[in-house]
Amino acid sequence: MPDRELRHWKSLVRERADRDWRELSLEVVDELACHLADLHAAALRGGNTEHEARQAALDALNAASFLNLSKRPRSRRGVGYGHDVRIALRQLIATPIVSTVAVLSLALGIGANTAIFSLVNSLTLRALPVKAPHQLAILTEDAPIATDSWTYPIWRDVRQRLDLVESGFAWDSQRVNLANGGVTEFADAIWTTAGMFDTLGVAPLVGRTFTEADDRSGGGADGPVAVISYAFWQRRFGGAADAIGRRLSLERIPFTIIGVMPPDFFGPDVGRRFDVALPIGMVTTVHPDRSLDQRDWWWLSIMVRLKGGVSVRQATDALRAVQPQVRLATLPDWSPIDLKQYLEDRFTFVPAATGNSSLRARYQRPLLTIMVVVVLVLLIACANIANLLLARATARRHEWSVRLALGASRWRLVRLLLTESLLLSAIGAGVGFLVARWGSQLLVAQLSTQTNTVFLDLSVDWRVLAFTTGTTVITALLFGVAPAYRAAGVAPMEAIKEQGRGPGAGASRLSLASTLVVVQVALSVILVVAAALFLRTFTKLATLDLGFDHDRVLVVTMSAEGAPIAPAQRMAVFERARRAVAALPGVHSAALSFVTPLSGHNWGNRLEVSGGVALDDSRRSALRNHVSTGFFETYGQRVVAGRVFTDRDRDSSPPVAIVNEAFARRFLNGANPIGHTLRRYPVRADEAPLEIVGMVGDAVYRRLRDPVPPTVYSSAAQSIDDLPTEEFNLNVRAASRSSALLTRSIADAIGSVDKDLALTFRPLSDQISASLTQERIVAMLAGFFGALALLLAGLGLYGVTSYAVSRRRTEIGIRMALGAAPAGVVRLVLSRVSMLVGLGVLIGAGVSFWASQFVATLLYGLEPRDPVTLAGSVAVLSAVGAVAGWLPARRAARIDPAEVLRDS
Amino acid sequence: MEFTGAIREAKKGTAELVVLAFLDDEPRHGYELTQLIEERSGGALTFNFASLYATLYKLEERKWIQGRWVEKAGQRRRRYYRITEQGREVLAAQRKEWLQFFQLIRDLAGVRYA
Repeated sequence: MPDRELRHWKSLVRERADRDWRELSLEVVDELACHLADLHAAALRGGNTEHEARQAALDALNAASFLNLSKRPRSRRGVGYGHDVRIALRQLIATPIVSTVAVLSLALGIGANTAIFSLVNSLTLRALPVKAPHQLAILTEDAPIATDSWTYPIWRDVRQRLDLVESGFAWDSQRVNLANGGVTEFADAIWTTAGMFDTLGVAPLVGRTFTEADDRSGGGADGPVAVISYAFWQRRFGGAADAIGRRLSLERIPFTIIGVMPPDFFGPDVGRRFDVALPIGMVTTVHPDRSLDQRDWWWLSIMVRLKGGVSVRQATDALRAVQPQVRLATLPDWSPIDLKQYLEDRFTFVPAATGNSSLRARYQRPLLTIMVVVVLVLLIACANIANLLLARATARRHEWSVRLALGASRWRLVRLLLTESLLLSAIGAGVGFLVARWGSQLLVAQLSTQTNTVFLDLSVDWRVLAFTTGTTVITALLFGVAPAYRAAGVAPMEAIKEQGRGPGAGASRLSLASTLVVVQVALSVILVVAAALFLRTFTKLATLDLGFDHDRVLVVTMSAEGAPIAPAQRMAVFERARRAVAALPGVHSAALSFVTPLSGHNWGNRLEVSGGVALDDSRRSALRNHVSTGFFETYGQRVVAGRVFTDRDRDSSPPVAIVNEAFARRFLNGANPIGHTLRRYPVRADEAPLEIVGMVGDAVYRRLRDPVPPTVYSSAAQSIDDLPTEEFNLNVRAASRSSALLTRSIADAIGSVDKDLALTFRPLSDQISASLTQERIVAMLAGFFGALALLLAGLGLYGVTSYAVSRRRTEIGIRMALGAAPAGVVRLVLSRVSMLVGLGVLIGAGVSFWASQFVATLLYGLEPRDPVTLAGSVAVLSAVGAVAGWLPARRAARIDPAEVLRDS
Repeated sequence: MEFTGAIREAKKGTAELVVLAFLDDEPRHGYELTQLIEERSGGALTFNFASLYATLYKLEERKWIQGRWVEKAGQRRRRYYRITEQGREVLAAQRKEWLQFFQLIRDLAGVRYA
């Protein structure tokens, strides 16, 4: 096959040309290859064997010098970058192990950076996909305890008084139940005023959005209406065109679908996505107990679009000018102290181009911390690769001197090496990009819990691209400059004379390499300390004594909202459901509670205790819960004194309460609380005091990290404090099996009491685990990257030590020939390793000591400068260093002096 | 035959002349040229193949010869070089110069045909 023959010779010609650094035009390559093919063919005709013929042509090729072929009349391109890339690619392929290690560490490093950056980007940098997002602003306040939740009366008043604002809307994100009774099925809803669509400037993909006319209790001409998201349209209706006009049951009320929003619109909240948008006026139809006029229902966020040319500052000033009127018109039913504060807190607009997000505040610091961690990992990877390339660079000094001697410029050498680095980095970034896509999606999935689905738009935008490209280039420079610098320093012919054996160049490369290893070890110490701090924080929280036993407890939230049950009858229905469930086989006990621990909900009052210590108003707060009989048994909560609730505690009997130990400490200085009475503060004349009849052990209530708050448990059977009763929790402890297995029988049992109750099931352990999401993610990431850093540092140290040993082979051989014992050789090698590790550890520990203050708020149960963590990290690094140094040291000790002396 | 010393030096300068001379009869391709040179010199003159092409390209750059890809039936596509008018003039001048040079050497050094 002549073609194949020619291709074979072409590739050999190109290879030969590369050796002389000559770029040949295609025509020249063709011509030379043709010549060799002719030579080969002629030799065959002359009676040679195939092998001999091929060898003859190869000899001609090898004997040739291509140097005079450089300036070709037909090749006007000069020496192009394409040529550099080809040479670089061949170099990378020629050293597959070094290249693979480098590409993998880069892929992880750049991938991790891109993944975290794309989260930071979509959470804090990316503008909402709406019209002119920079004109949007959110209402907050400048206050000691600032809120960005508002009542509907405030919104109504603010809207009427704003001149500098083009339009605005108030909204709240909630889950709504799609099921008509029985096990719940939730959709993410936005309750919003009709202005949302106009203000954000988004048009529906299909149908229409709702208007002021639809935004009223009971709905407008079309009755209750809903606009759905593109994703929900696809998921629920398969994208059917006739979805418009169909009915959708939400909280048992049929809403008519009137429009579908475009796919990229996820609403004003960053971090979540809506399924249905509902007119806010309908909220009172769904929640008949509520009224939009309620002045103490703080539930709305407010976003406005400023008129063109109006700054956020001007809008704030304008709003503050009318603040007294707004505040006075919307006074809640509060105590005088609180009202005073209410009047003083100043309205403030803040820019909202990037939308509204509760996740942002919560995850900003953890994300920033992880961003620093991944940058450090990338730096370590860079140091590692720089070392690998330096080792390879030394091996190539001979080649470079020849090139220089033959007339290549230094710049050309440097350019070629930087091309190699850039190519490595680019391949790493390419793989890393895939790692990042996968990693960031995995992370977002980790953020979601059963009650809160996190959605972040992770599509690649110019920022992510710019970040990855920038990282790639900087990375290439970081690890490519050292070898390039080394190449630029090569003297023509010098290395040829040296023949790679003398100590000169090798020694100076070693000092640069050692510096890199010290840097690597130092950075690894920082990462390992960080990982240890976060892992210990997580472990401490995860193994915290909660004060109750969460195993085998299932929380069933029963909702009577929209069900045909008279409000006065609800507690009785819940109690009957409890009894039905408690009687089930496999159920150990069942109890009602208004609040469940770590659910994110809480309920509290300021209190006054008879015979209690004098307290500031701010210290009178206690959290409240309303529980049925069997609660403390179900939760396994310790009873310290007195009694628990019994069936005798009824509406008609004297009201009683049970408190925890923290309560006794705060309100009674630790004295026995039994017999004392408590009342809400300020005291109302018509309210009967509750007698404390028992004391239970402290148990976690709202957050794992908070110290256990003073807590008061009242009897759910005694209707106290106008408790909202739309929803109550049934806590079920399974006798032996996992509580989740009881779901079906519990649903049936409750259904037999009242089929209209909406039921949501959630194991208590899930609830606890969800409350640790942030800590878990930070610990997981820091742990992973800490381990990666250790591995990279170990590899780096091993590489440098092995290299040093190979360079000192002769010296070691002579030492051994002169009587040095193997143990002495090991000591010789290890002393150098321990110096490098020691220096690195010292620097790393110093930096960690200083830097750990920045993560103090993310820690729990340990000091940022925790000595155990620091000492442990130092020990781990030293152990890794010892192993990485011992392997080459052992090899050094096995050098055969006779062999070395023969070779040298 | 191995040349040493003066002749070896002189050989380098003669490459262009030899190539031009061989192209004077008819267009030839590179491989053919090396074969011809080797054959006619009885193996005394050999060209490293890359140097031959370097010479060809240099001559082409000076427009003394011109190369062209030709595909003959049943053969590989090859680049044929033919001498230009300008090349012929150079060749004639060089021939004359070498002749004068030889006569000079003969007279001065007593080198005669065997």
